[in-house]
Amino acid sequence: MFDFNLIIKSLPMLLQASVWTVIYSLSSVAIGFCIGTLMCAAGLSASRLGRGVAAFYVSFFRGVPLLVQLLISYYCLPLIGVNVPSSVAAVGTLALCTGAYIAEILRGGFLGIPHGLVEAARMVGLSRAQILTRIEVPLAVRFTLPSLVNETTMMVKASSLISVVGVLELTRLAQNIATSTFQPLEIYLTAGAIYFVINGVITLAGRFAESRFRLETAR
Amino acid sequence: MTHLTRRSAVTKALRLAALGVAASMALTGVARAEDLLAKVKAKGELTVGTELQFAPFDFVEDGKQSGMNKEIFAEIGKELGVKITFLDLPWPSVLPGLEAGKFDMVAGPATITKARMERYRFSSPIADATVAILKKKGDASITKPADIAGKKVGTAKATAQLAQLQEFAKTLPTPPTIQEYVDFSQSYADLGAGRVVAVANSLPNIAFLAKQKPDVFEVVEPPFGKPVYFGYIGTKAADAKSLMDAVDAVLIKMKHDGRLASLQKKWFGTEMATPDQVTEASF
Repeated sequence: MFDFNLIIKSLPMLLQASVWTVIYSLSSVAIGFCIGTLMCAAGLSASRLGRGVAAFYVSFFRGVPLLVQLLISYYCLPLIGVNVPSSVAAVGTLALCTGAYIAEILRGGFLGIPHGLVEAARMVGLSRAQILTRIEVPLAVRFTLPSLVNETTMMVKASSLISVVGVLELTRLAQNIATSTFQPLEIYLTAGAIYFVINGVITLAGRFAESRFRLETAR
Repeated sequence: MTHLTRRSAVTKALRLAALGVAASMALTGVARAEDLLAKVKAKGELTVGTELQFAPFDFVEDGKQSGMNKEIFAEIGKELGVKITFLDLPWPSVLPGLEAGKFDMVAGPATITKARMERYRFSSPIADATVAILKKKGDASITKPADIAGKKVGTAKATAQLAQLQEFAKTLPTPPTIQEYVDFSQSYADLGAGRVVAVANSLPNIAFLAKQKPDVFEVVEPPFGKPVYFGYIGTKAADAKSLMDAVDAVLIKMKHDGRLASLQKKWFGTEMATPDQVTEASF
């Protein structure tokens, strides 16, 4: 009943598609991290405009389902003359979406920095820029590393949605093979296992980074 | 002197403005005149949106696209002298993508219906699309289409097959419960698993499936739906007319020289008579 041959036959294709899954999700997280840092800075800034922009950004991209965002970026933007290829729509939308979550994660990290630490740094004569780059950012990233890894694994899974804009990734190929062979069980189990392994590797890399940058060693 | 200078400045500005208007008019004129067929030929590429989950028209075999669409479009590409690029999307995304200009036309194919003809330009039909019932092999409780009365029947969302099934359900004494799926493959899987007792889909699709899995599925003859056809889809925009006309010319040529018949035989196991053009859909 259970067809191992089909798994062996489909595995190379599924692995190839999973490379796209990894590329799309990790590049979105990388771009999203930059967006998130900017939005976090805007959200914590003294400027009312900056805070307003950040609040609107975060509430939009967290409040609207990613699937709807993808459909808007691919099918509605052309109506106002913005016609981007599938891959750009996919990475751009994923990055904008994860950027909102990362902005909030980082904000939590910044707010968690003890006030006394910043005061002490000011007392010993560090400038505002030095405090930011030497004290606040390293601490905020360390505080939030588990959440950032968590967000990355979420994005790997969320990338299964981007086939709606015509991008081939693991889930889409699995669907296509399952449909053509009429054997969904074997194919979806294999696809699930590949996602599990990808996220396992990301989690391990996160653990390694956490141990490498433990707060104790940073003293 | 100052007067003169000022006047020349005004003339200069006017001339510049006139030039600008002329240029922009020329540009829009060019954009309008450049029709889709010319664009496709200039690019050397025809981009076709489709879904690779619609056997025997489009499906995946050994990780690659396979099926009748690929072979028909290969002929179209040869005749037009362009390369064919397929883009695979979930079916509910395909027609919006066509309207957003993401591809030049849609393969599918889709059933030619009245409602769709109002919005889209269909190609010359490539196959019979009349809807029939697929059941589990050896299910004695369904021997004719009307036997689905009161039972649970699956079909795909946003399809003409669903509309036909709903129409047919109204004529039955106890209407069947219709389960709508995102795509037909899920409905086949549920038929295999016994969650529905029948699936309604166009004859070529279920005939192919029953041929692939003869010990699992069986087609209930005859089809219950109104006679309809499968065609490829383009937009009704004026600039797309040339492309759709060119595609039609190739398809009609293929009907007459037997190339389409041999592809039908290869993929459906039988030849199907189709008109050159569907001017009025029955459904």
